[in-house]
Amino acid sequence: MHVPDGVLPTAVCAAGYAAAVPITWYSIRKINQTGDPRENVPKAALLTAAFFVASWIHIPVPPTSVHLVLSGLMGAVLGYFAFPAILIGLFLQAVMFGHGGLSTLGVNAIIIGGPALLASFIFRLRGLRGDATRRSTGIFGFLASLCAIGISAALFTVLLINFIPADLDADTERHAILMLALGHVPLMFIEGAFTAFVTVFLLRVRPQMLTES
Amino acid sequence: MSELALEISDLSFSYPDKPDVLGDINLTVRSGEKVGLIGPNGAGKTTLFLSICGVLKPSKGKVSVMGKPVQIGDFNPQIGMVFQNPDDQLFCPSVRDDISFGPQNMGLSKAEVEARVNEALSAVGCKALAERPPHHLSGGEKRMISIAGVLAMHPELVIYDEPSANLGMRSRRRVIELLQTSTQTILISSHDLELILEVCDRVIMLDNGQIVAKGDPRQIMSDDQLMKAHGQEKPHSLIPHVQSHNR
Amino acid sequence: MKFVLDQHAYLNSPIHRWDTRFKLIGFLVLIFAFSFVQELYIMPAMALATVAIFMISRIPVSFILARLRYPSFFLFAVVILLPFISGSDVVFSIGPLDVYEEGIESALLISVRFFSIITLGLILFGTAPLLTSIKAMRSLGLPAILADMTLLTFRYLFEIGNYLHQMETALRLRGFQARRFSRRGFSTLAWLGGSILVRSYERSEWIYKAMIMRGYGQDVNISQGSFQSSARDILALGLLILLAGGFVTAQILI
Repeated sequence: MHVPDGVLPTAVCAAGYAAAVPITWYSIRKINQTGDPRENVPKAALLTAAFFVASWIHIPVPPTSVHLVLSGLMGAVLGYFAFPAILIGLFLQAVMFGHGGLSTLGVNAIIIGGPALLASFIFRLRGLRGDATRRSTGIFGFLASLCAIGISAALFTVLLINFIPADLDADTERHAILMLALGHVPLMFIEGAFTAFVTVFLLRVRPQMLTES
Repeated sequence: MSELALEISDLSFSYPDKPDVLGDINLTVRSGEKVGLIGPNGAGKTTLFLSICGVLKPSKGKVSVMGKPVQIGDFNPQIGMVFQNPDDQLFCPSVRDDISFGPQNMGLSKAEVEARVNEALSAVGCKALAERPPHHLSGGEKRMISIAGVLAMHPELVIYDEPSANLGMRSRRRVIELLQTSTQTILISSHDLELILEVCDRVIMLDNGQIVAKGDPRQIMSDDQLMKAHGQEKPHSLIPHVQSHNR
Repeated sequence: MKFVLDQHAYLNSPIHRWDTRFKLIGFLVLIFAFSFVQELYIMPAMALATVAIFMISRIPVSFILARLRYPSFFLFAVVILLPFISGSDVVFSIGPLDVYEEGIESALLISVRFFSIITLGLILFGTAPLLTSIKAMRSLGLPAILADMTLLTFRYLFEIGNYLHQMETALRLRGFQARRFSRRGFSTLAWLGGSILVRSYERSEWIYKAMIMRGYGQDVNISQGSFQSSARDILALGLLILLAGGFVTAQILI
């Protein structure tokens, strides 16, 4: 769901950056207001690296295997830190592996990071009716990722179809949108399930990782 | 007649950017033997272990365990390896889950798996820790659980990579006792030369990917020149006492 | 996985010697100018400009090619369908499939833009140590928190990548088969991911302690002394902006 360089027109790329700036600014403000910002930085940095690495885990999906985006999980664990973490992750991915893009960094941050913030809100609902149990953690972890990936996929599809420099007639456009959308549905469920398992694991092993966000 | 638990012939290994990490290694280990592997950092000990386990494909040579060649990339439950850092091995949310992992992958029945888990926990003296998350355990406890997870597979050959690293005295003593009373064939790599002296029947010195000495542990490790030449020091217990302990 | 992106940062070329702040601005302006171009006729000039900058940088071809391989697959996935679905003027047919002129043009356009921009990005961050690039971004307005996080993330990426590698090996040695899909296998991978997170989290607590014991967090002004620009730096920026302007103008006029 990363838009590569060269696909989108300048205006969209610029708009992406323009939209990413206030969100980043707001996230940083929230970060500076919670706890000790000095302590938060190494924590967030190491977790950013951990998510980066975790996304390399091959999840077998016959006949092939996929790499997960983990934006929903990042929202659940990192809270407001998820947006800058995703921004940094995308930057490093672009300059180290050429995956994603530099001109499209802003756009990709919105596509993936925006829904991650939503995921963090959804995940926090697990504690709405008393203490979070394994069941509520798993359910809301699943929902958080399902929504995050779903929205990211929708944004990605809409941007790509609308702005790719190509002449697509209405029919082709509809088909393309359908195919892209359908292709992402299994991913939504896999990411949801993965997030459910990981959040329940964290609840058992290091619950403060889930409450500090 | 004791079978050969491990037979390595002409084993060589190179990385694309590092040639001759291991060069022409020849080694035989009899069933039930406890062999120590010493040498400086970077000598190739871990590479040798991973080659024995079938994780790394050697550029040359053969490895056989209990008479059968080791299949590269396959699951070889007859060989167990305890990693230097238990955190690399312990990943499940409970100790019981973690120790079950190997036996489950061997396709054993639920009852058999449970029996093996309880057996392994008893062997390392950690029955009370069964339901705890491994992440909450002390260094010494993690070490014992990582050993239990390997023993539960009933391996014929067990490799220990720095088993006493980062352990307090008590935990270290428990590991030594476990190694001494074990009936499996054991290969131990360690900088803790006193442990090697207490546990091993034979010692092999590796440096720059080659075996530079092999034989009786006391004999090899008493050789000042040999030890110094390969970045080692004589273990304290082999140094003649010139000062009485009572002052 | 190779984690070094700046292993050629210590070569000596005009681009290496260029003040990183100006280099950042210049390259980013050019990258945006490239993404502005829509006309096929400008493509050769774009490719030429990219190759020229690449040659001036003295970075080995192998470095660029190695890093273009992986993203090329993604590009391929995006552009391969275009000649078959986009446009109305049929150029030729392969059996029942029509190949459209506009589709070919779009595919070409995207591809040239893609390779040019990525190459520029690799040169931009490959000709200075990452630390210098981040410092330059700091002096251009990047918030300190983001700069610190980026450097720390990069620094520990290798170590945490190593955790994953070691753990995967340990899993394999206990019989885990990564290729087969099963509920137990899935939970194993989730627990693996979770363990990486927990280990990194715990590691960070020690890193934090080590950092504050050496004064991290004191409000110290990052001295700008490390960046000293010369007339040549400004001139080079001017040249690149002119070049970018040229592409934009050409696009508007054609």
